[in-house]
Amino acid sequence: MIITARNVCKSVSTGEGELTILDNVNLQLAAGEVLAIVGPSGSGKSTLLGVLAGLDSATSGTVKLLDQPLHDLDEDGRAAVRAGAVGFVFQSFQLLPGLSALENVMLPLELANIADARSRAQQQLELVGLQHRLGHLPAQLSGGEQQRVAVARAFVATPSVLFADEPTGNLDQATGNTIVELMFQLRAEHNTALVLVTHDQNLASRCDRLLSMHDGQLQ
Amino acid sequence: MSSDATDLQLLRKSAHRSSLKRDFGLAWRQLRREFRLSEYLVLIFALVLSVAAVTSVGFFANRVERAMAAQAATLLAADAVVSSPAPITSDIYQQAAEQSLQTAEVTEFPSVVLTEDGETALVSVKAVGAEYPLRGELKLATEVYGAEQTAADAPSSGAVWIEPRLASTLQVDVGDRLIFGDSTVTLERLITFEPDGSVDAFQLAPRLMMNAADLSASGLLGEGSRARYRLLLAGSESQIDSFVSWFDANADASLQLQTVEEGRPAVRSALVNARRFLGLAAAVAVLLSAAAVALAARQIAERDMNTGSLMRTFGASGSTVLRVVLIRLSLIALAATLAGCIIGYLVQFGLTALLGQWFATDLPAATLTPLIGGFMCAVLAFVGFCLPSLVRAIDTPVLQVLRRDLPMARPSALVALTSAVAALALLLIWLTRDWQLGGLLLLGMLLVAAVLMGISRLLVALSVRVRSAYLRRALESLRRRPESVSLQITAFSVGLLAILLLTLVRNDVLGAWQRQIPDDAPNFFLVNIQPDEVPQVKSFLSERGVQNDTLYPMIRARLESINDQPVTDIKFDEHGQRFAERDFNLSYLAEQRPDNKILEGEWWDEQTDSPQFSVEEDFAGDIGVEIGDQMQFRVADKIVTGEITNLREVDWESFAVNFFVVGTPAGLDDKPASFVSSVYVPTGQGEFVRDLVSQFSGITALEIGTMIERVTGIIDRAALAVQYVFVFTLLAGLLVLWASVLASRRERFREAAILRALGASRTYLAASTTREFALIGLLAGLVASTIAALIGWVIIERVMEFTYEFNGWLWVTGVLAGVLGVLIAGKLATRPVLNQLPIAVLQSQV
Repeated sequence: MIITARNVCKSVSTGEGELTILDNVNLQLAAGEVLAIVGPSGSGKSTLLGVLAGLDSATSGTVKLLDQPLHDLDEDGRAAVRAGAVGFVFQSFQLLPGLSALENVMLPLELANIADARSRAQQQLELVGLQHRLGHLPAQLSGGEQQRVAVARAFVATPSVLFADEPTGNLDQATGNTIVELMFQLRAEHNTALVLVTHDQNLASRCDRLLSMHDGQLQ
Repeated sequence: MSSDATDLQLLRKSAHRSSLKRDFGLAWRQLRREFRLSEYLVLIFALVLSVAAVTSVGFFANRVERAMAAQAATLLAADAVVSSPAPITSDIYQQAAEQSLQTAEVTEFPSVVLTEDGETALVSVKAVGAEYPLRGELKLATEVYGAEQTAADAPSSGAVWIEPRLASTLQVDVGDRLIFGDSTVTLERLITFEPDGSVDAFQLAPRLMMNAADLSASGLLGEGSRARYRLLLAGSESQIDSFVSWFDANADASLQLQTVEEGRPAVRSALVNARRFLGLAAAVAVLLSAAAVALAARQIAERDMNTGSLMRTFGASGSTVLRVVLIRLSLIALAATLAGCIIGYLVQFGLTALLGQWFATDLPAATLTPLIGGFMCAVLAFVGFCLPSLVRAIDTPVLQVLRRDLPMARPSALVALTSAVAALALLLIWLTRDWQLGGLLLLGMLLVAAVLMGISRLLVALSVRVRSAYLRRALESLRRRPESVSLQITAFSVGLLAILLLTLVRNDVLGAWQRQIPDDAPNFFLVNIQPDEVPQVKSFLSERGVQNDTLYPMIRARLESINDQPVTDIKFDEHGQRFAERDFNLSYLAEQRPDNKILEGEWWDEQTDSPQFSVEEDFAGDIGVEIGDQMQFRVADKIVTGEITNLREVDWESFAVNFFVVGTPAGLDDKPASFVSSVYVPTGQGEFVRDLVSQFSGITALEIGTMIERVTGIIDRAALAVQYVFVFTLLAGLLVLWASVLASRRERFREAAILRALGASRTYLAASTTREFALIGLLAGLVASTIAALIGWVIIERVMEFTYEFNGWLWVTGVLAGVLGVLIAGKLATRPVLNQLPIAVLQSQV
């Protein structure tokens, strides 16, 4: 299994008492599987994605990512699990504004100390059709181009799993469709498992499995 | 083991092998594009400013110190010098001869020289023999800027050498005739370098050098005349050591011995004071720059929080992120420090131009030592004010990449304050070279900052109550950002206050002093009047209609004991110690002077035959005496003992001749004395001096106006030098303003975009920011002007006890400078807000 989550709970303290965000979530994801998580705003989708990816820790329960018990690891340990093995695509692209498109794509490779970062990143950008934008800064790219850079960055280290949080949320319909096609195509080529958080029912329907989230519970 | 797990292990290993090279590459890539961002520019400029302020003062002090070190051997024109207010006694000559030391006699005293055209000038005369100097070389020229030659002999008999500045003042050239004392002399050479010329770094009168053999014939020195006698000594180290040992054990206390090791106390103390004052000005600039660094660091931390979160999302460890951030900022700090050092080096040329001439020699090139100070300043500002925010920011949860509403991790207030205060304390102690002074300055600065911040907050709170449609948006901005606006007002008013104090308030203080001098206040001091000249001088004065013709006897004396306790056994404070260790002037009077008020006791009977003393009240406090105490003075080789019978108040600002201690004629009128007077010559002052000097060659007329001009000239130059360094402070104040505007930039962008989307024109938005910054500038100007006026009032009314006159220009200048300065800086800082397309802001997540 790529991901195994058991009895995962997440709650935070607020001025009005304890607020439960994830309530006893159980989930498994096999290699190459594509899972969509849908649900209304505030239902806990993004928090679940964060916990599964090791970006956040659960209050209780266990999460295994790539056979590594995230619940037993500290922040650095969880980062080491992600290094080169986990890809991300965010709604707001999350490119580093000071780095060019090429340098943004090189980043995961460099952080994982993987050789040939430059040539691999260049190839990946060619795959997403941005060979002519290598030296451009994010601010010089359109929204669609930025998300294509983000997709290239997500796949460049051939990750075992990709987490995508509303990848088309900031894009128009046509551009969004292009990005989704690209993402699914690359995922299929690398047999990458995908966890997709989305509001888009059409997009969700293309996934192998669909889970719905309400008030912190998976249904 | 599955292949996935194997891959993971490999990846883990590779992740842990993150090398410095990779981190450096990542840091460099981010840096080369991001350094142009405003927050980095603020950080860079703030570091450049503080390093430049510190190194400019450092380089200047370094050059002066090197000049002093290089001249050590020739600084005294000898290996040791014995000096005395009276001719040096024979035992000293005898001991010097026993030690086989070379000797040279030098006599220095003030006098007046005339040209044949009737031009007069006060001079500092130095009578030397052929042996002078024993060490170093005296350089001469035949014309101003002419080729230099080394003097091989003393001035010829009947000839004098003078400084070029005196030649310019008198408009004379080599070969011209000068009237000097009883004789007419020829100007033989111009002195271009005098090895011991700057014994008094602030010597007011230019040098005139004459042959010692002409001294007695000149009639310039009589008994009791004010002169300084020096015996220059040179020999081997052991010979000098033997002489010093003998001197310490046997010489009279009125004699002073100076060796090369002791250097020149006057020059050294001038340097220490200059370094401290300039260091203080630099410290204020550093303090404000550090505030700008702290503000910029918060902006950079916000950006780094995003970068750090993203890097950690892709597997970077916390230490990797920290390394990348540290490398990037260290590169910036390094570049800024280097730039600051270069600017500091260039700026010190200005300081040298303003102050270098005090040190009476061409200053050698600086060494690189001040760079250490520059680097230390940058490191302390960086570590104390920048690092806590940055280190803490990368601790922001990684989840921030998904949840942008998560707050940024900030250092605790205690950590931030402790690191900032510690860095500031170290900086101040280093800048002042005195931990006590540094500590006091730190407290003072924090107190001033707190008071200014409090006043600014109060003003902001009062301003926002104003109801004005015209200022509505400006007032809203103040209401929303009271802390940021108060900081802007504080920072800018500190810089403005410093400049106002050094310009307008300084002039007010000098003006108040000059105003209280009555129109008929004495304008000449007449010194070195011999007892037998007194009746002739009096008739000379009355012939010229000079009203006050009182001549006071002046006797050189030394305090020996108080109530039979030798002064060497008494513990005085610093002030009192100076009087106990040196000769000073006594006078005697039978009748009480109308301008001296008796505070305690009674004036003596005119006919009394018992020695009694009247002591000036402050002096009595300094040496700790009161009525009834017995004071014993040594006058030449005689002892005079008397009781203190009254304490007087003296108006020192009146320019009348006054004395700390006045005795009854009994016991003093038979002692060697010269007479002194201060007179008011209503018209024809030049003629007066010319006639006086030609009739009484030994009398020196010191023109008070010229002396005041020279003193104010020195004050002006010193103030200009401090102002020069305070320009850094003003710039640092503007940087704080810029940095605090940047802190609100995101909010400003959003507001401007919404307003423009709703139909507001660029003109409307521009007018709003203009009013906002003009208002902030107005408040900063008001704070600075009011505090400057308050300080001026305290100095004039309370310290100097003169009358303070309201100076409206202080407020006009302060407010105008405040409005203009803040307006220009604020408009520049917010220009991108107006130039940004609304859609770009509204669509972005920023």
